[in-house]
Formats: sequence, structure tokens, C-alpha cells
Amino acid sequence: MATERNDIENALNRRYEAGFVTDIETEYLPPGLSEDVIRQLSAKKNEPQWMTDWRLKAYRHWLTMPVPEWAKLRIGPIDFQAISYYAAPKARPKSLDDVDPKLLETYDKLGVPLHERAKLAGVAVDAVFDSVSVGTTFRKELAEAGVIFCSMSEAIREHAELVQQYLGSVVPVGDNYFAALNSAVFSDGSFVFIPKGVRCPMELSTYFRINAMNTGQFERTLIVAEDASYVSYLEGCTAPQRDENQLHAAVVELVALADAQIKYSTVQNWYPGDENGVGGIYNFVTKRGDCRGARSKISWTQVETGSAITWKYPSCVLRGDDSTGEFYSVALTHHAQQADTGTKMIHIGRNTKSKIISKGISAGRGQNSYRGLVKVEKSAEGARNYTQCDSLLIGKKCGAHTFPYIEVKHPRAIVEHEATTSKISDDQLFYCRSRGLGEEDAVSMIVDGFCKQVFKELPMEFAVEAKKLLEVSLEGAVG
Amino acid sequence: MLKIENLHVRVAGKEILKGLNLTVKPGEVHAIMGPNGAGKSTLGNVLAGREGYEITAGTVDFGDKDLLQLEPEERAAEGLFLAFQYPVEIPGVNNTYFLKAALNAQRKYRGESELDSMQFLKLVREKLRVLHISDELLHRAVNAGFSGGEKKRNEIFQMALLEPRLAILDETDSGLDIDALKMVAEGVNHMRSADRAFIVITHYQRLLDYIVPDQVHVLAEGRIVESGDKTLALKLEEHGYAWIEQRRLPEHSAV
Amino acid sequence: MSATLLQSLEQAYAQLPPAAMQAGRLGEARRASLAAALADGLPGARAERWRHTSLRALERRAFSPLPATATVDPAVLAAIPAPRIVFVNGVFAPQLSQLKDLPEGVSLQPLSQALQQGDVREVEFLARRFDAADETFARLNAAFALDGLLLRVAAGVHCTQPVALVMLGAAAGGDHAVHLRHCVELGEDARLTFCEYQLAASPQAHLLNSFAHLHLRRGARLDHVRVQGEDAGATVMTRSDAVLGSEADYRRTDLELGAGLSRHELNVSLFGQHARVAAAGVLLADGRRHLDTRLNIDHVARDTACDLTWRGLGADRGRVVFHGGILIRAGADGTAAQLSNKNLLLSANAEIDTQPVLEIHADEVQAAHGATVGQLDDTALFYLRSRGLPESVARTLLTRAFCRVVLDGIADAGVRERTDGLLDARLPQVAA
Repeated sequence: MATERNDIENALNRRYEAGFVTDIETEYLPPGLSEDVIRQLSAKKNEPQWMTDWRLKAYRHWLTMPVPEWAKLRIGPIDFQAISYYAAPKARPKSLDDVDPKLLETYDKLGVPLHERAKLAGVAVDAVFDSVSVGTTFRKELAEAGVIFCSMSEAIREHAELVQQYLGSVVPVGDNYFAALNSAVFSDGSFVFIPKGVRCPMELSTYFRINAMNTGQFERTLIVAEDASYVSYLEGCTAPQRDENQLHAAVVELVALADAQIKYSTVQNWYPGDENGVGGIYNFVTKRGDCRGARSKISWTQVETGSAITWKYPSCVLRGDDSTGEFYSVALTHHAQQADTGTKMIHIGRNTKSKIISKGISAGRGQNSYRGLVKVEKSAEGARNYTQCDSLLIGKKCGAHTFPYIEVKHPRAIVEHEATTSKISDDQLFYCRSRGLGEEDAVSMIVDGFCKQVFKELPMEFAVEAKKLLEVSLEGAVG
Repeated sequence: MLKIENLHVRVAGKEILKGLNLTVKPGEVHAIMGPNGAGKSTLGNVLAGREGYEITAGTVDFGDKDLLQLEPEERAAEGLFLAFQYPVEIPGVNNTYFLKAALNAQRKYRGESELDSMQFLKLVREKLRVLHISDELLHRAVNAGFSGGEKKRNEIFQMALLEPRLAILDETDSGLDIDALKMVAEGVNHMRSADRAFIVITHYQRLLDYIVPDQVHVLAEGRIVESGDKTLALKLEEHGYAWIEQRRLPEHSAV
Repeated sequence: MSATLLQSLEQAYAQLPPAAMQAGRLGEARRASLAAALADGLPGARAERWRHTSLRALERRAFSPLPATATVDPAVLAAIPAPRIVFVNGVFAPQLSQLKDLPEGVSLQPLSQALQQGDVREVEFLARRFDAADETFARLNAAFALDGLLLRVAAGVHCTQPVALVMLGAAAGGDHAVHLRHCVELGEDARLTFCEYQLAASPQAHLLNSFAHLHLRRGARLDHVRVQGEDAGATVMTRSDAVLGSEADYRRTDLELGAGLSRHELNVSLFGQHARVAAAGVLLADGRRHLDTRLNIDHVARDTACDLTWRGLGADRGRVVFHGGILIRAGADGTAAQLSNKNLLLSANAEIDTQPVLEIHADEVQAAHGATVGQLDDTALFYLRSRGLPESVARTLLTRAFCRVVLDGIADAGVRERTDGLLDARLPQVAA
């Protein structure tokens, strides 16, 4: 009996390699949510009064909002009083050199070395551990280029004016239930500011790690690209394996001014729960980009393999004339995972363009829904959208669903939506196998081909990681 | 019949035709040759009245009309026909229905009586016979699912039916095998008459073996740079378009 | 509920003759349906299935209690050959109907007649309850409908003459709510062409609430054409519920050409193996028309197929709303599902909202859908004009071609020609 259990655990560990726990002394706020908790949280972070007030306003608004109805998700009620809204390693380093070696080791194991010797070449990393940022690499190099890349906590203290100008300007405090909650209790996250005309000299990356038990992670990311600037930003996420569901409710805001370009890539690998649907992260994220200036461009690329439940719709508000929004997504659900993801493209400016490529893969009892909105307002003369949504089914008990909304109010707009659903055909498998490939290799090859359009949008290192993740996540899906 | 003077045309802000002059008299066949990108197709499209071409200078008289003031359908009714380089596929629109509607619209414009179905079919059959085209073409939608050769054949058939005063063939020979090419040439030759003129736009001399032109013009960089009789086409074929460039070099260096 | 519509109907209910309401022992079912409709009210903006169609204006209108008789010029029906059954403002019109000379094995009669005869089994479909809160019109229909068509084709019978159902709206002093319930049943291997018309005999602003049950047994084939050509003042709520047995073949074509507000729900349950449905339609929203079509194709059995082709035209201040839902249930392996929805937006004040939806719970399936919103192709337009067609004619021609594929599905040549004519008459108004 015991050995059998171990075997299963080993197998699971192999599948979710990021499932370990770091044993580090952690400081918590007790579970529960109230105005007092928010004041304490704000005080712990040495925040100015305006920030505390902003949080309280959001909290009061949140209290008035109804819990969202879940269109296609099966989800138990969430007890918001049972969650701790702040968890941080006790030792507070002044710089990366002072960081607890255990933490550095954690990030080493996750493949994101932070210390000087092994820093990832050409990628600046902000590492967020539970509620706080533990360090940011390449600070000097970035500062020389005029780029600000730091934790949100630091930005609130050091770059208050910028934060006040842009925070909540894309995702208003009361935008939706989880955005309101995030606005009230967000702990940390990254802040990026690229000044006018600057092409950010390296990829920026934030690595989010949930470690502590019974906590939620509520990070807040804000990226502002001034006129004619460019930045590519990557985000990765993992969490230990636990039997309870943990809540992750992030808000990401992007602002692109005239001729600016923001490329935002996510590889989401939160703990997905086990085969029976026990445990795993509830991933409820609001991501929105505002193409505020003419000819600006925002491109979202996401590879979603983790989380028990994923609920996110990275969106673009195409306000500037000739601005462009893109959304490339691979979402995989296996075992009991559920994903409800997609995008909104709101065309307001003239000649705005958007492109949506969504690839859903369902295996086991996984449920995968694409939900999207393409809206062409009366002002959006010459707007153009192309959407392609493909679903791949592996197994008899999974589901693949497509819910696009198309709303067009301008007669010089062209909107096209195409969707297909298919399974890996026996012919394809047989062909691969007759050429000597094992069944799982054949499947992963076919899946890789299915996802190619999205993977090619990812920066190289991420594309490799994404591909590997898919392979691991699909283990045991066939046969 | 057609008089083009100092025609300047811009496409998407770029000047393509830069002072083109051309006069075509009834009964004549003019060949316009030139390298890719010289503005050959632009000329055809501008004459037929396609949108997206900005005429910045020049005049085009067609008979007693100012051609540039007319809508595309008015130009057609006045007797101008463009055989498209890429005939458009229109799924769902029946070929016969389309042609009858077009012919009667033109007749109406000219104050002629419209043809009823019987008269129209009789005319169609006659034209098909002359061109050796099967009437299966009539039952299909306009160009939908046609091969390249079938599309060009359909253009010639339309020309035969609509009997224009001036027909412009825009690279009608491109992508055709020798049999299809002969058929196209036969169709044109059959229609040659004292009051009908042709402008044959082509990249290759080959077509001119079958449709013998009265005049050959070389269009390069938006202008007619050389005109001559049919031997000019043969010289071009022999020496290539670079030959024209060389001949023009002194002119350029003088500037 | 501040609903005037519902209040006016509640009053109307009280004034209906008790004998009629009890006929077929349906009194209890009718009362329960009315109570449910009143309790839940009309679906509001938050109801997902009514997201793009507001009933606010309708909610505030009152409809007078009793169906009023009206005289109708028989010329309205000239183009519709017998056999046909005609209802004027919801009342069976024997003088306009022609029910004689039906082939053996085909029975056609008004529902009111069956209710009078009191055979409960004949009318048991009327007892169906509707659970969802937003099925207000189905509930009202269940409460009120006293007439409609009953059409049955016996097993193995091929009915070669198309049978027509005509619902005429006619001016009758005031606005009336009309509820009709129809049932069409085809026995095993039976065949029928069925034409359904919702037309205006004269200008009026009635509410027509028409609900048809269609049942195809094993191997039956039903060709169904529906033309909604109501007056611009009228409101039309139509629901079609079809259940298909094994190898049943259901082909339908829907033209939405009229009414101020029209909503059609087409629910098809592919219940038997190898059942298939091919449905196509045109939504022509000009003027201030709001046309909403909602498909819900439910693949229950394995090896079933659907092929759905809808075309929308939005002109003037018109609004086209389309929802193409395809559900493939677990176990419905071997399903092939296909939906194409293309739309032309022809004016600055028109709007098109489309939502093609796939929900798939089986893996041996082939499913695809596509939706587009765009304009007429400029190149094609130029090509036609270069051949001498005036712009307005060229536009009409291309618009017609755009809709053509929908009419191609009508098998009966006579019916196709008539339907074609109805669409053709409307296109120049929209395209030019």
C-alpha cells in the first residue's frame, strides 16, 4: 500500500517538477480580510497614505459586488476570510547579495538563477516570492538605458508620480470582482517604465512563486511604454503541490503610447492539482493593454498549462488610430483542469487591427473554453480582425468549447472568425509510429505542430520551456 | 477613337504613369509591351475606371467623351472592354444571368431595345459556336472554380458577346498554353474590323505571332519610350528589355 | 414586474372562455405555464440568451385581450397553392384554407378542431412544461394557444404536394397578441415539403407568438421552408423544436425579411443515429428591423450531422443578431458539425452581432464554424461595372449571390422559385 502510494507520488512529482516547498521562516498576516487587514498590509509595506486610501476604496467597492457567475466552470465557493493576504520571508534583504541562500536555491531549482555568477544572459529578472519581490537583476544596466524595472512596492515609494498617473487607468478599481479584490490587497508585482524612444536593451522577466500555505497571491503589474519605445516582458509562475486550492488573482495593466510596442509573454505553470482534481491554484487574472497612442502595438502570448482553474482574458483596447492588438494562446487542460480563457479586442480607433490565434488542448477530463469578444465601435473605420480558434481533443471525457462574441458597428470593418475542433487522428498516429516514433512522442510532435503558430511568438528560451511543459503535462494522456 | 495625353497616375502615393501619350484609331491593333512594374496593368485599370488610381494630370478622350469623367459601367456602355489579367471569381452569380444583365444594361444606356431570353440565348449560342466553347460554361457561376485558361477564355467570350469598340487585353496570354493562346488570338482576330480597335498588353512577343499588331509601344517607367511596327516586338524579344534601357541611357545621362 | 405586456395578457387570460381553456384537459397545464411566465417576467439584459435583444420596449406595450376577426383580401394568398391552412390573427380561416384533396396518409387539421374533439392524445404536446426562466414566450404559448396546425404524415407516405401553413396578421383595431401552436409529425420513412409563412395582410403591430413541434421518425425526410415577411410594425416570436429519429433527414430554410422585431429559436435534437439536419437562412435587417436567430443544435446520438449556413444583411438602422450553438454530447461520436455565418454590413448605422458556439464533449468529432462580418468585394463590384452594370444593379447582384447558397438547399423547384421571388423582391431595397 505504502509503496504504491510512493509510486504515484513519484509519478506526480515527475509531472509537476516545481511542486517542492521551500522551508523558510515566513511572516504572515493572519487569515481574514477587513479594512484593518488592508491598513496593516499597507503599513507593512511602508506605503504612502494615497495608496492606503486607494486600497480601501477598492475594498469598499468589492464588498458591494456580487460573486461572478461561472459560465462554464465548476467551482466551489471561495472563503475569502480563510486566506492570508500577506506572506513574506522574514529576512528582508537590502540587495540581491543579502538574499537568503535558501531563496536563491529555490530559484536555481526553478531554472531562474538570480545570483551574479549565473544570471540569465540577456534577461533581467524580478523574482516575486509569495507577497514580496526578493530581488531584481541587471538593475544597473537597465538604469543606464533609462528603463525603470523594479517591484511594485518600490515603485510606489520611489516613482509615486508615475504609479499614480497610470495605476488603475487601464483596469479600473471596480472593473470586475477579482480586479477589485486585487486592488484592495495586492502585495507586490513588477513595475516597468520605458521612456520615450528607448528600446529596452534586454528581455524583462518576472518569476512568480507561491510558497506559503493558505495564502493568496495578488500581484499587480504595470508596464508603461512611452512614445516609440519597445519592451518584451516575460512572466513565469509555479507553486508547490498542496491539497488545498490556493487563489491567485493578479491584475496586469499595459499602456502603450504612440508608436510604442509591448510584447507580453506568459508561461503559466501553477500547480494544476492531481489527477482527481484535488488541490491546485485558482488562477483568476485580469490582463488588459491599452493601445493609447497611434500606431501602438500590444501583443499577448500565453502558454497556460497549470492551475486547477484558469480564468483570464488578456485584452486590448485599441484606442489609437492604426494600433494593433494580438493574442496568441495555447491552453492545455488535463485531468480535472478547467480553463476558460480568451481575449477581448475593442476597436475604437480608425484602421485598428487585431489578430487572435487560440489553441486549446483538452485531455483526460479537462474542460477548455475559448471565450472572446471582438467589438468594432462606430468610430473604428477600417478596423480589421482575424480570429482562429482551434481545439484538439485527446480522450473521450474532455471538453472543448468555443464562445466568440462578434459585435460590429462600422460598415468599413472586416471581421473573420474561424474555429475547428479535431482529435489526433489514428492515421496521423499510425503514420508517425510506422516511422518509428513512440506513441507519446508522436502525440507531442502533433501537439507541438498544432501549437507552432503560438510558440513562434515566444522568445526562444520560453518556447523551449513551453514545449517541454506541454510534453510533461500530457504524460499519460494517451492510451 | 482613343487619345491619351500626358497621363500621370499615382497609386498609393507613388507615381506609376508619368506622362503617357497614346492615340488609337478605329481598326488598329496596338501592342503595349514592357518590363514588369512598368505600369502596363495600371494603364488598363485606369482606362476601365478602377478605384484607387489617382489621376494627377492628363486627359483621355474616348470618341467624343471625356473618359475619365465616366463611371466604369458608362465606359463599358460606351464600348470599352477590359479583359482582366486576373478575372474575378464571383460564386453564386450565374454566368448567363450576369452576361444578359450586362448586355441589356449596355443596350439600355445606348437607347437600344433589351434582348429577351430567347434572343439572348440565340446570340450566346452563336458566339459560343464561333469560339468553339462548350455551353457548359453558361451554367456555371462567373469564373468560380475555373482554371486559368477557362477564365481567359471566358473573358474573350464576354468580349465577343458585348462587342466593344475598344478592347483592352491585359496580359491575356499570361499562364496560357499554346492551344489556349491560339484560341484567344482567334477570338480577337475574328473580331477585328474597321471600326473596332484593340490594345494588347503583354510581356511576351509570343502572342503577337498570332495577333499581328499595327503598332508596338514599349512602356517603361511610366512612359511610352519607343514605338514602332511589329518588328519592334521581335527586336525586344531578341535583345530583352535591357536593350531599351541601354538605348535610353544617353537621354538620361544628358539630364 | 412592471410588465404591462404581462399584465395585459393576465387580464386576457381571465376573459378567455373556460371551456376552451380546459379543452384537452389542459386547464392545469395552462394555468401553471401562465403562473411561471408571470413569476419570472420577461428576460432582461442580464439573461445571456437575450444579451443582444432587448425586450424593454415590448415589455411596456399592452395587447388587447381577444383575437379580433378581420377581413383579408384573398389575393394575399394567390401565390401560395393548396393544400394550405390559413390563420388570420391567430384564428383558423376556413374560407381561405384549402384542406381537401390531400394524399392518403396525410392528415391536416386545425388544432382548435382537435381540441373540440377532445382526444387528449392528439394534443398531448400542449402539456409540455418549460423550466428555464427565460422561456417566457414558450410559457405564454403553452398558456394561451388555442389554435395552430396539426399535420401528420403516415409511415412510408411520400407527400409530393408541398403543404403550406399561413399565419396572416391583419389590421383589427388595436394591437393583438396571437399565440399559435403547431405540430408536424412524420412517420417512419415518410416524406414531406412544408412551407410556413408569417405574412402581413395589412399594416398592424400585433405580437405573433408561434411555436412549432416537428417530429421526424426513423428515416423520415422533411423539407421545411419558413418565410417571415410580417409588417414592419409587428413583433414575431417564433420557436421551432425538432426531434429527429435515426436516419431522419431534416432540411430547412428560413428567410427573415419582415417584422420590426423578430426572434427565432431553432432547437434541433439529433436523437437517433445517423440523423442529420441541414439548415440555412437569411436575415435581412433593413429599416429599423431587429432580427435575432438563435440555433441550438443538440447532437445526442452518434454519427449525426449538422450543416448550418446563415447569411446576414445589415442595412439602414437594422440589426442582425445571430447565435449558432452546436452541442455535441458525450457519446455522440462520429458527429460532423459545420456552421458558416457570413454577414454584410451595408450602412453606417446598422449593427451585426454574431456568436458561433461549439460545445464539445466527445472526441471522435469533426466540428468547424466560421463567422465573418464585412462588405461587398470591391474587386467583384468593379468587374461587374466594367461589364456595363450600373452600380446599384451590381450591388444587388452580388448581395443576391451572397445569399444564393441559402436558397440552393430548397429541393422543390416550385417552392424554391417562390421563395427566391420573395427574397429577390426585397434585395434591391437593401443593396442599392
